[in-house]
Order: sequence, then structure tokens, then C-alpha cells
Amino acid sequence: MEKIAHEITLFAEPIFHLGNFTITNALLTSWVAVAVIIILSIILRTKLRVIPGKLQNIFEIVTEGALSLCDQVTGSRILSMKIFPLAICVFFFILLNNWLGLLPIGGLGLLERSEKGLAFVPFLRGGTADINTTIALAVMAVIGANIFGIFSIGIWKIFNKYVNLKALGGTFTKIRKEPAVIIVAPITFFVGIIEIISEFAKVASLSFRLFGNVFAGEVLLASMAALVAYVVPIPFLFLEIMVGIIQALIFSILLVVYFTIASTDHEEHEEKHEHLLSAPSP
Amino acid sequence: MDSIISTFHIDWKIIIAQAVNFGIVFAVLYIFALKPLNKLMAERTEKIKKGIDDAKKSEEMLLKAAHEYEENTIKLRKLSIDTQKELKKDLEKLRAENIERIKKDEAEHIKKRAVQMEIDKKTLVESAKNEIASLATLIAKKIMEGEKK
Repeated sequence: MEKIAHEITLFAEPIFHLGNFTITNALLTSWVAVAVIIILSIILRTKLRVIPGKLQNIFEIVTEGALSLCDQVTGSRILSMKIFPLAICVFFFILLNNWLGLLPIGGLGLLERSEKGLAFVPFLRGGTADINTTIALAVMAVIGANIFGIFSIGIWKIFNKYVNLKALGGTFTKIRKEPAVIIVAPITFFVGIIEIISEFAKVASLSFRLFGNVFAGEVLLASMAALVAYVVPIPFLFLEIMVGIIQALIFSILLVVYFTIASTDHEEHEEKHEHLLSAPSP
Repeated sequence: MDSIISTFHIDWKIIIAQAVNFGIVFAVLYIFALKPLNKLMAERTEKIKKGIDDAKKSEEMLLKAAHEYEENTIKLRKLSIDTQKELKKDLEKLRAENIERIKKDEAEHIKKRAVQMEIDKKTLVESAKNEIASLATLIAKKIMEGEKK
């Protein structure tokens, strides 16, 4: 009998093709996650009562807890109410994708013949164990934060955060009063350029952190199952359930942090700080 | 960059598909769960707040009513004591007046009786006198008739 390879790949494996579009097992898991969220949302909507039932109670507890956590990050309920819907959706989407990867349905799959022989391709692979999913989420988070910043403090201030024309222009207006501005202004402009790079770094850090953690979990589970099957992987399964929650929480909190930073007017903050410093002490 | 793309199989089509997936999740969760739930929770908070306010108002009203009841009870008690005192006073006065009137009436009655008794005495004496006189006349007449015989 030919040996079947259970190799865990760094990328999501293709299951089938729709034209020239490849459906991977991670994408399939994401669709399952979307379906589960849609079904739960509709059930919740139909069972919404002033006196809550079980499902509504759980959702209310999670929502209230998440909102108070969001308040701690933003420091303002008004700002929290704007960011919270997106953050909680990201949380649920990532959480379900993380957890679906742990389901034993992952044991169901296809046998594909490759150059190395027969290879097993599971139908379900954690949606976030595919870098494409995490890149999509990270790009949306970073672009979303900048759009939110534009709506909150204005396009000119966001533009100046990256291409600090205001600092360069200030060289001519402030040079008589503060000669040091001739050194400070180019540095400030350069900091803006670094900000652009940091936005790409945010995408990289968000996507690779999530992908790395979830993928490592899957590798760990597969390794444990290969070493001693059935019993030994069980504690690690519980660990991965925890990791799934923690990673979803980290991504959501970072999203809230990015949105909060983007909506804060740093110049106004600095001006207030300078004003306080220059004010005579009582 | 190419090595990263080939190692991780980064595919912009799948990235877009996942973004669409998240978009669907956001829309569905926001429309079907978060928005109505937030509305419901706000309504409930409002109801609870109103309930607590109403309970506070009721408690205040109850305390006020109890205070008013106590005040009214004290006032009524005082009024009852005063009325009782006044009634007693009036009763005493009425009693004294009645005694006075009875005494006066009795004295008058005694006086009247004394006068009547005097009149009666006088009448009796007069009638006795007349009787004695007629008897004396009769005796004298009888004696004279006897002597004649």
C-alpha cells in the first residue's frame, strides 16, 4: 500500500477550482465561519427580547465586556461606539476562523497525487492559518484606521502626518523666532516618511503575528498527534482554544489602538502641552 | 518579495475574497446583531433608569405621606384634647347654670308656697271665725228658745 503523506504546508492547499479562481481549504473554512456568523446573527435577531434568553445573554455579556475594554483603550465612550462595531466583528471573524481549524473535520479531505506520492489535503484549515486571510484583515485595519483618521481630524492633518509639508513650511515662518527649526523641520519631515514605513510594518506585524501563532498551533497539534495519538493532543487542543481567543483579542485591541491613534490630533495635543509648560506655575 | 509571495502562496484574488468575507460578516453582524442589540440595551437601560427614578420618587412620596400622616395625627390628637377640654368646660358651665336655675326655681317655689300658706291660713282663720260666730249665734238662739219654754 502506498504511503500517504500528512504534511503541513505553510500555505493553504487548493481544494477545487472555479474557473481560474482557486478555492483553498482556508477560504472554505472562512466561508463556513461566515455562514456560522450569518446563522447566529439571524437567530439572535429573531430571538431579541427585552428580557434576554441564553444566546442573547451570552452575546450581551461579550458585547458589554468588549465595549468596556474598548473604553479603556480609547478613553472615550463616543469614540468607542464608533470603533467598536468593526473591532467586535474582527474579533468574531478571527475567533471562528481560529477555532474552525481545530475541528476534527480537518481529518476529512482529499488525497492528491504529487511528485512525492499521495498527499492528504484536509477540507478545513484554520482561515487565519493562511497568510492571505491575515493580510486581508491587516490591510483593512490599517487602511480603515487612516480613513477613520481622515473623517475624525481631517485629510490635511493625516496627509501632514506622512508628508509633513507644514513642518517644512514652518521653517520660513518660525526661523526668526526659533532658529533651531532649521534642524527640527527636516527631522520632523523625515519622521513623516518613517510613519509611512510604519504603516507597512503594521500590516506585516498584524498579519504575520496572527498567521504565525495559528499556524504554529496547527503544527503543534499535528506533531503531538503524530507522536502519541488521541490523548496527548487534548491538552494542546485546549491550549489552542485559548490561543484562538487571545490572538483574536490581540488583533482587535491593536485595531482599536490604531483607530484611536489615527483619530487623535497630535498637533493639538502638543500645543496644549506646550501651553501648559509655558504657563506660569502658581 | 517574490520569494515571500511564492513561499506563502500570496494570492491577491484570495486576499480580495477574504476581504469580501469579512465585509459580509461586518454587514450581517452590524445589521442583525449589534445595531438592534445596542438599541435594545439602550432601551432597557432607559427603562431601568426610569424604574429606579420612579421607585425613588415613590419612596420620597411615601416618606412624605407618612410624615404628613404623623403630623395630621398629632394635630388631630391636639384638636381632640382641646375639644374635650372645651366640652368639659362647657359642661361644667352648663351644670353650674342648671344648679343655679334649679336653686332659684326652688327658692321661688318655696316663697310662693309660703305666700299661699299665709293666704290659706288667713282664709282658714276667717272661716273658723265665721263658723264659731254662727255656732255662738246658734247656741245663743237655742238657749233663748229654752228659756222661753
